[in-house]
Amino acid sequence: MNDIDDLIGLVRDELGLDLTAEDADRDLDELDGWDSLHVLWLITVLERDTGGRISLPELIEARSLQAIYDLAVKR
Amino acid sequence: MNVDAPAALDELRELIKAGGAARYPEVRPLVAPLSGADLAAAGRLLARLDPEEVLREHPTTAQVQVAITGHGTLSTLVAPLTGQLARHGVLARTRVGDFDGYVFDLSDPAGGIRAGEADLTLCVLDPFVVFDEVPVPWRPQDVEKVLAEKLALISGLAAKFRTGARGTLVLNTLPLPRRFSAQLVDHRSRALLGAVWREANARLLRLGEELSGVAVIDLDPLLAEGVAAYEPRTGVYAKAYLSPELLAEYAREVAHLARNRVGRTKKVLALDLDGTLWGGILGDDGIEGIQVAGTFHGEAFKAVQKVAKQLGSQGVLLAAVSKNDAEAVGQALREHPEMTVREADFVRVTANWQPKHENLARLAKALNLGVDAFVFADDSAFECGLVRRELPDVAVLHLDGDPAEHVDRLLADGWFDVPELTAEDRSRTEKYRDELDRADFLHAFDSIEDYLRELKVTVRLAAAAPADVPRVSQLTLRTNQFNLTTARLQPPDVQALLADPRALVLTIRSADRFGDNGLVGAVFARHEADGVHIDNFVLSCRVFSRGIEQACLAVLLDHARETGAGAVLGTYRPTAKNGIVRELFPRFGFERVDPESADPADPAGSARYRHDLTAPLVRPAHIDLTADLERASA
Repeated sequence: MNDIDDLIGLVRDELGLDLTAEDADRDLDELDGWDSLHVLWLITVLERDTGGRISLPELIEARSLQAIYDLAVKR
Repeated sequence: MNVDAPAALDELRELIKAGGAARYPEVRPLVAPLSGADLAAAGRLLARLDPEEVLREHPTTAQVQVAITGHGTLSTLVAPLTGQLARHGVLARTRVGDFDGYVFDLSDPAGGIRAGEADLTLCVLDPFVVFDEVPVPWRPQDVEKVLAEKLALISGLAAKFRTGARGTLVLNTLPLPRRFSAQLVDHRSRALLGAVWREANARLLRLGEELSGVAVIDLDPLLAEGVAAYEPRTGVYAKAYLSPELLAEYAREVAHLARNRVGRTKKVLALDLDGTLWGGILGDDGIEGIQVAGTFHGEAFKAVQKVAKQLGSQGVLLAAVSKNDAEAVGQALREHPEMTVREADFVRVTANWQPKHENLARLAKALNLGVDAFVFADDSAFECGLVRRELPDVAVLHLDGDPAEHVDRLLADGWFDVPELTAEDRSRTEKYRDELDRADFLHAFDSIEDYLRELKVTVRLAAAAPADVPRVSQLTLRTNQFNLTTARLQPPDVQALLADPRALVLTIRSADRFGDNGLVGAVFARHEADGVHIDNFVLSCRVFSRGIEQACLAVLLDHARETGAGAVLGTYRPTAKNGIVRELFPRFGFERVDPESADPADPAGSARYRHDLTAPLVRPAHIDLTADLERASA
């Protein structure tokens, strides 16, 4: 995972959500088809991809895909 | 297995984006071979499809309504369940209850997730049902006390739920993760905790035996495969008290129950021989050279044979389909001293050099079954690929690789799982073999009338007795062709009809010169002000085309007239498979009546018929018929 577009592409392909680059900073609740429990899937994928551990409580509290990306990759 | 999962997922993504619900029929072949993470991914994608939209596009899609309730966070069950059901061509319509809402959801089947209407209600139980209420510090006795309270609560809820719900209630045993047992430092207490915990699980399992309409999934065999029961982070932070991996395995088991409810349980296991049922190649190695016991590989194949025999003893029809010399195969099955499966265990042994899909299609026709009732297992990628391409409705198991692993692969999908066995199941192979003999007998006659006269058919039509309930229910679940309305009835549904004074449930038993066919059909009718209504009529495919349906309808029409009914009314509801009975009513003098109003719950378009009883229906002369419609006093 090299940039935020990779994360958006992953969520779009794996969950079948209709997303574009503009959705990076939108509140997750505004994304059509997003469910808060999707982070339980996302944490497994992100940890496998980055090889690091991510804090699940912080991931649950992240409000946008950009925030999730920052948490998982940019640390 | 050689499955290109990434390609299948890409195609699925494309399909959902391009056509969505309209292309739903293409989904099953794509997801059927998937497992593990790939299937989970497919499930997440499919969960985005609106099932109502799929049903609008394809009204005859097999579907189950699943109400999900329990103690922890359970929305994560929807995707794996959707994926597993899609593998069997069944559309999932799920409703998930509120967190920890199971007491409310089960005690009020009409409210919340409307569990009363669901085909399956999953009450997912986890260890925190108990440990959330155990005080700290605790001893095994504290756990025992909470377990007793919860067991009483759950059995009470289950018993009550059955009275207000049409579907099956699915419970599960409680896993005991080490994070609890290891809190007791003395081994004596730890052992005691294990004992009280398992006693509670045993009581839960017995609920499934005591209460019809309740199924209990034992999680222990799933855990024994090496699946974690609990994932601490999702458990603590998201209150998902069973691990995602365990929920995925649980979904697989639930899918087998659901498949049975929609009449899609498989009936035939067709096995290749060389490399599948035994090691080696009979044509090259000879009878002495094939491996069926003793050697390393011989023991692996012996295990496969034992499983085949075990399945066959429970009503699964075993067939051998092999490219081989028929004589050599017959000799091997009869004379090899260490063979576990014998010629008599098979409904038919086909050994020739024809393509296997042709042999399978011919066998299906001879048994009067659809090829979608078949599971075909072969070690050859070529044969599997050919059958998959030519007969996409056959479930194909490619048993490649180490034969020691074949037993698990054969059993992985619970192809033949049913809620309970009936007496019919024990002798099914024999009955179908008689049927194949009858087909040979038929070829010896010039006319069908001569044949029927010589067949000496006897039919006994009688009011159903309580002992008939399991078999009558099973007929509605298994029969897809001669099934007028395809109303699937669980044993409690049949029981309820037996208790209803206006309802008439008639059993059909038949026999002929080749033997007893057993309980082969049922008529479901009820007395109403405007006449006798036939709600359904099912007949096993083994006894088609003998005039049995005419004999039974004739008796019912006479009964209606004798009891003062003004007419007999019936409905035909078309499905993909019951075209054989489309013309049943008009053929026997019923007039089509237009429905008073279009029924929105019935998009497939039913046809309603009425017989005014002015002329009796002739009873076929070749049938020796007895009828006893008086209900045994309750």
